[in-house]
Amino acid sequence: MKIINAIRGAINLREMYKNKNQWARKIGFGFGPEDEIPTNIDVWNTKQINDEFSLIGLNKIGLWPDEYNFSIKQRFERLHKFKTIKEKVEEESIGRQEKNARLRISKNENAVHMYDTYKLWNSAIYGNDMFKQRLLHFWTNHFTVGGSNNFRNYVIGDLIYNVIYKNLNGSFDDLLYLVTTHPGMLDYLDNTHSSGENSKFAKYLRKRGQTAGLNDNLARELLELHTVSPARKYSETDIRNTAKVLAGWGLIVSDFVQEFNEKKEYREISRNITLEKFVLAPYLKNKAEPGKKVIMGKSFPAGPKALRKLTNMLAQDDFTAQHLSKKLAIHFIGENASKGEIKVIYDTWKESNGDLAEVHRATLNVARTTKTRKFLWPSTWMFQSIRVSGARFIKESKSDGGFGSIKDDGRPDFEPLGILQEIGHNFWASRQPDGYSEKKLDWVSTEHFDRRIRIASRIFRAEPSRSGEEIADLLDFSDRTKLAISKGRNSEEKFIIALCSSDLMEI
Amino acid sequence: MISRRHFLSIAAPALALSGYPVHGFTKEPIEGRIIVIMLQGGMDGLLAIPPIGDDNLFKQRKALVASNPLKLNPLFGIHPNFRNFSKMLKSNEASIVHATSFPYTGRSHFEGQNVSQSGSKLPFSTNTGWLGRAMEFAKITGKALSLDAPLLIRGAPEFDNFYPANIEKTRSPQAALLDLIKETHDGDVMAAIDKLSRASMSGPSRLRARDPLSLATKAGESMRELNGPRVAVLTIPEFDDHSSIGSTTGHHPELFTLLDNVFYQLKIALKEQWDNTIVLTTTEFGRTVQENGSAGTDHGYGSVGLLAGGLINTSSVVANWPGLSTKDLYEKRDLFATIDYRSVCSACIEAAFGLDHDFIIDKVFEDKKITRIYEHIFG
Repeated sequence: MKIINAIRGAINLREMYKNKNQWARKIGFGFGPEDEIPTNIDVWNTKQINDEFSLIGLNKIGLWPDEYNFSIKQRFERLHKFKTIKEKVEEESIGRQEKNARLRISKNENAVHMYDTYKLWNSAIYGNDMFKQRLLHFWTNHFTVGGSNNFRNYVIGDLIYNVIYKNLNGSFDDLLYLVTTHPGMLDYLDNTHSSGENSKFAKYLRKRGQTAGLNDNLARELLELHTVSPARKYSETDIRNTAKVLAGWGLIVSDFVQEFNEKKEYREISRNITLEKFVLAPYLKNKAEPGKKVIMGKSFPAGPKALRKLTNMLAQDDFTAQHLSKKLAIHFIGENASKGEIKVIYDTWKESNGDLAEVHRATLNVARTTKTRKFLWPSTWMFQSIRVSGARFIKESKSDGGFGSIKDDGRPDFEPLGILQEIGHNFWASRQPDGYSEKKLDWVSTEHFDRRIRIASRIFRAEPSRSGEEIADLLDFSDRTKLAISKGRNSEEKFIIALCSSDLMEI
Repeated sequence: MISRRHFLSIAAPALALSGYPVHGFTKEPIEGRIIVIMLQGGMDGLLAIPPIGDDNLFKQRKALVASNPLKLNPLFGIHPNFRNFSKMLKSNEASIVHATSFPYTGRSHFEGQNVSQSGSKLPFSTNTGWLGRAMEFAKITGKALSLDAPLLIRGAPEFDNFYPANIEKTRSPQAALLDLIKETHDGDVMAAIDKLSRASMSGPSRLRARDPLSLATKAGESMRELNGPRVAVLTIPEFDDHSSIGSTTGHHPELFTLLDNVFYQLKIALKEQWDNTIVLTTTEFGRTVQENGSAGTDHGYGSVGLLAGGLINTSSVVANWPGLSTKDLYEKRDLFATIDYRSVCSACIEAAFGLDHDFIIDKVFEDKKITRIYEHIFG
């Protein structure tokens, strides 16, 4: 493995996180009472990047059940099944209430995003790959795909687990291409609605009096948010031509099944593309824009291979390295990460050509020596609070204070998803494509604090094995905070003060 | 025919004839109120307020024109879903500013939203909002009806937010506990907890729903109280319709209905304080003049601003109409913005807070070139 000078240099600097519990919070979710505290932190750090970890099981018993790991194909099948039942129910001559009740049952039976949400909570609270889990949240936010429609709720988990998680140690080139061509992204940023002005598809629809042509939503965000950023000073024509390269990728998947089965024009145009084929390669030649396209001075040929060429070019662009090094530094080090700290990550990015394992290692090493503190995202704070205090995630009985519960038929309930929504930090929510803010001030409001305190009181009811005072000692809280905790009138208040203190919210 | 680039303030005859009383604005200091409705995602101004008198509209747009707009004057119509707003136009308590935008042409949501809230020409160049700064100078308080405290209102000496929680088995935190938590924080966080602590003593809120209409009710109710906030900020998201946005019916028109109802709800909830209020919309940019390939519109430049409230005396459509032929468009694709929307914001601040125009453009916007259009909206 290539050893990078900049990283070696960074290790020689003074280690800022001597308390291992605090270090595990800086780059992960902290150590719970049942976690083994590593004797050698260097070995643990290396493991955080290189080791393959298995996800823990639903009830912490055994591994995450394989039947709850859904492939993209299984997700489409479940969505299809739900839609078929929905059509049937709608046709039946029963009242609206009865219809809604039956639809709810079918939706629950075929839902996948509940399991995906549980996996997110469970991995953060119990997973021993905590740096990877934090990286997973970072990249999921970088490549935001908002939920809200049925289709995306079915596929966001695929993007998170089957694409981003599996490529955390790969190259940014690969990750960028896989995310850009993911059905969730193609649908969320409207590329499914786009077709080349001169494509057979557009001509066909225009002849029928319908509108058809380019939609530049994905193209714009691919440049602005996912890669080079506006600092690169590309032109409106570059965006337009990017949209032309993207045209052909994706079909209107929200109604995917119906369109293929019912609408004659789609069958004629896209010929007999099977579900499986579509999932593997969502490129439809007849929707693509013919001819070559020039983007930022480089020429791209017609056909599906142009996109890979384009994403590679964007991934390798110097502005992408700058943009993403800064984002990683802000996420793990803090808003006030210094230019020098960002530069270490940037240099690694350049030297390794965007090898994410190297880039992530550099980020981790810079975090070890930084004095800058990061105000944690609400979900990071919540998962850390649950983990460090030793509270339980899954309820064991109706009366206890855990968060989720597994019903008798093995299905998880809604609350973990609802709580992410309540704290304003839900990866399945409908939201803007620039994702959740990394700025402290964007998370400071009376209502946000109301939520934090409510969540802390819920964690207290989930039977934590550590008290507020114990947490304060373990994490070397300031004297000021320890004094405030001591003034709490009972163990619940002391616990809530510890969790909602600046010492826990910032690391 | 209306000449291009001529500053117009067109009051439609149908509107001017209505006989409602005129709410006078005097130079006496008034307890004016400002409510900003942020239309997030970029509203299609040409769909909301179609310039039906401009033949080029129908040449540029095939599908995205409502089939039965209400005619306001020879140049402008209004989408039929603005039922309440149209009534307000008739009773001289609403106005429209067209072909307008904040000074941002980059077509990025995030930069555009930042500019529309900060009021600065350069995105991400300041940590306070134009409304927050105006509140600071006028020394008044306000509330945002959202989980976050939006940039728009930051910088004010007193601001707060409201967004009811829905977490099972929890209750509002008690003041004593909050005061202890506060001891562990500094600066902005400390201030936020302090406000929460004071709010906890004013008793639990009855209202738990948090859709825009319920929040509008809450805003109006608290703003009509004697020492209630004088500023409120509401957000209506999801205007970013790139595909199938709808013309007479559809997603954008549904949002028009929602916005229309929010205007109505604010008026009802504010009661007599409506007379001292100006409600204005903001949006980060307009959308392309032509439809894109999927019956939607992409990010553009000029859009429209809708204003309502008792501080308005005469309804009008204020526009310096740039025209819609391709050569008249910004970069041959977007409606030109011939009015800096900060002129509209300045006029609203002048009307509600009694600050002087020159002072506002100097201190709040730090740009002395902003034109005064107060007379056109409130004159």
